[in-house]
Amino acid sequence: MSKIQISKNEIRPARIMIYNCDVLGWRPNYYRMTFVCLILVLLLIGANGAAKSDEEDDDEITFRDFSLYIGDRIELEDYQIELIEIQSIRDGLVVMRVSKVGGSLDEQRALLLDRPNNFDRGADNGGITITIAEIFDEQSARVRLEYKEKLGTPRKRSSDRPQTAPEKPDLWVDKSFDKSEMNVGDESKVTITIKNNGTGPAVGIEVQDIPPLPQFTYIAGYPPKIKETLDPGQSDSAVYMVNAAKEGTVSIPSVLIRYADRKGNSLSNRSEPFSIVILPRSRADLNINAEDNITLALEEEGRLNITILNSGSASATKIEVTGDVRPGEGLEAVGLDKSFFEIAPGDAAAFSASIHGQKPGDYAIRLKANYNDGEGLAIREATARVTVLEREYKYHYLLAIIPIAIISFWIYRRHREYKY
Amino acid sequence: MLNVLMLGVGQCGNRILDAMNREAFGGGASKLSRYYLRPKFPSRVETLAVNTAINDLKELRFTTAKDRLHVPNLHGVGANRNVGKQAFMENRDMIMGEIEKRGDFDIAFVITSTSGGTGSSFSPLLINELKRQYKDIAVITVAVLPFREEGSIYLQNAAFSMRELMELDAEGIILADNQYMKRFSGDIASAYDKINTMIAQRLLFLIESLDSEMLSVTDLGDFKTVMNGGLRIGTMGFYQADSKNLSIRDAIQNSLKPANLLYPANVADDAARAMIIIQGSQEHLDVDEITKEVERLSASAGHVFKGIVVKKGRPKVLSVFTLASAPELEAIYAQAARAMQEEKEKRTRARKQLDEAFAHIEDLEEIY
Repeated sequence: MSKIQISKNEIRPARIMIYNCDVLGWRPNYYRMTFVCLILVLLLIGANGAAKSDEEDDDEITFRDFSLYIGDRIELEDYQIELIEIQSIRDGLVVMRVSKVGGSLDEQRALLLDRPNNFDRGADNGGITITIAEIFDEQSARVRLEYKEKLGTPRKRSSDRPQTAPEKPDLWVDKSFDKSEMNVGDESKVTITIKNNGTGPAVGIEVQDIPPLPQFTYIAGYPPKIKETLDPGQSDSAVYMVNAAKEGTVSIPSVLIRYADRKGNSLSNRSEPFSIVILPRSRADLNINAEDNITLALEEEGRLNITILNSGSASATKIEVTGDVRPGEGLEAVGLDKSFFEIAPGDAAAFSASIHGQKPGDYAIRLKANYNDGEGLAIREATARVTVLEREYKYHYLLAIIPIAIISFWIYRRHREYKY
Repeated sequence: MLNVLMLGVGQCGNRILDAMNREAFGGGASKLSRYYLRPKFPSRVETLAVNTAINDLKELRFTTAKDRLHVPNLHGVGANRNVGKQAFMENRDMIMGEIEKRGDFDIAFVITSTSGGTGSSFSPLLINELKRQYKDIAVITVAVLPFREEGSIYLQNAAFSMRELMELDAEGIILADNQYMKRFSGDIASAYDKINTMIAQRLLFLIESLDSEMLSVTDLGDFKTVMNGGLRIGTMGFYQADSKNLSIRDAIQNSLKPANLLYPANVADDAARAMIIIQGSQEHLDVDEITKEVERLSASAGHVFKGIVVKKGRPKVLSVFTLASAPELEAIYAQAARAMQEEKEKRTRARKQLDEAFAHIEDLEEIY
């Protein structure tokens, strides 16, 4: 170790050092540093030339890979190499600490992925060279240690510290309509819910709920707005109102959210796409049911029962029922005209009119209902047939029976009179 | 108004009475007439059909049930007048009771056959009873003589019955002779109907006339006088003018012709008293002609009563007359006597044959 050998390759650690100085944020005077470094280079070149002749019996350089979690250490003779932090997966930066028993070396350095880093002048010079071979995740990486065999066998020491969960945000997003089926013209509330199911805060949250669908008109609340930051376990939702404009089955595309973790790692997620059905516009449909084929005796009074049923899907409003009798004379009907403010879907309204047969014959009572079916004026009609009978003589048959009975009795009596 | 009792005794009398009831419903009445019509007699006429044979009573069609009197004697008297007389006597009170229920009468007609069992035996006894119970009643017997070929018993019955009838203190007998009238129809059944109808029409006409307002009056008294004339045996003739000949004179003459009489007689020779009853529209009733014709009849028949009834229609003439002689009756009696003699001889021969037959076993005993 008394001789110092400098080869062409020996320049590299110096560059790294310089580089590392930059990375570490050290800011010496550039020119002074350049000068110092030049002197050092000259000295190293000279020392290298003096020691070169004694190098024949040096050990071979070997390497070994270790998978390390944060806190794990590698012990090699007096060296202790510890994985401190996975600083950036994206940039490939891992912080390692290298120390030496006795305190002659204690350096913490950010290492670039796949770049060898020399400590104690590197493995070529009896020191060690460390390369981050692979970053598994934010907790672990594969580290290659290069050293001379004479230093012995490196051993891995697992960290006694409990492993801390990585701070990683995981946003879940959902988009839902409050109705799975709706009619044209119906309003629906659309809710976008985002929840951070991860372990780290999500920052810079952006929601992309586009494009606006042509089957809807967007009334209020669009585009949805969500908090930019969500801590683990936090959730937020945005609501906007839409109005169904066209009937058909609509595929609702997924909502895309973009966000980043604290370290600036970009992440995204999508909601599940789904579809909803838009039915034709709901309308009221009234059916007038009037009791048909009513038979009245002459001068008899009866009731005509009328039921108006809304079999549509919307309320009928401003219902005006009118009725007239044809032919106009012979049947008196009172109470055919009636008004209703509203008949809800599935509901029915009933009323009755009194009818009075004044003249025998067949009559038709025509009922007409004007109403607003939700879109405009609608008309429904129905007809009830009423028959007014001729005056009924309940004992007409007696007119025939009595003479027959009298004649029969007469004949029987005569028969008895002459029967011997 | 005359109160008339019509008694039909025996099968023949029942049928003539039924024919009178039918005529009372109107000429040519059908069986159904009784269901819608009432019999109309010119006077108060009570009818009663009397018979011992219930089947004969059941055959009647126009006689009410209450006017049919069954005298219970098994199934008739079998043409035996002695049995009939006994049956009458046994049921006299019942028979007379039925008659009494019908009230008082001015005249009674007892219509009967002279040959049958019930009629020929009941009638003389019945007439006697009528005369005994009803002091002022005139009883006229309408006696029907049998077909001659009907048999010896019928002839015998007719002979004895007629004698009994003629010996009664009754007003007379009107004779109808089936033998004489059977010429009206080809078969026996229709001849009976025709004869019954003829007798019924004449009797009804007679009753109507006696009870009518006549232009020239004849009444019950005149009729009784006529029936008391001669042998108190009479008969009737009837004629209705046809549209071709409405002459009243011809109608009167025709009513006296044998063809229109119930019993064969020659009015000019045999009539003792007569009654001519004329009915018709006034325009047909020429009084001079009627008078001339009655006078002509009176010249031969002695006294002739005439009655004229003005009633719309063609002239009808009923002639009733009693006979001073009845040659036909004598013939019947002679025939009946012969028949009875033959019957007797047959019976004697039969008895003799039987006795001779019995003589073969006279001295013998039954051997077993």
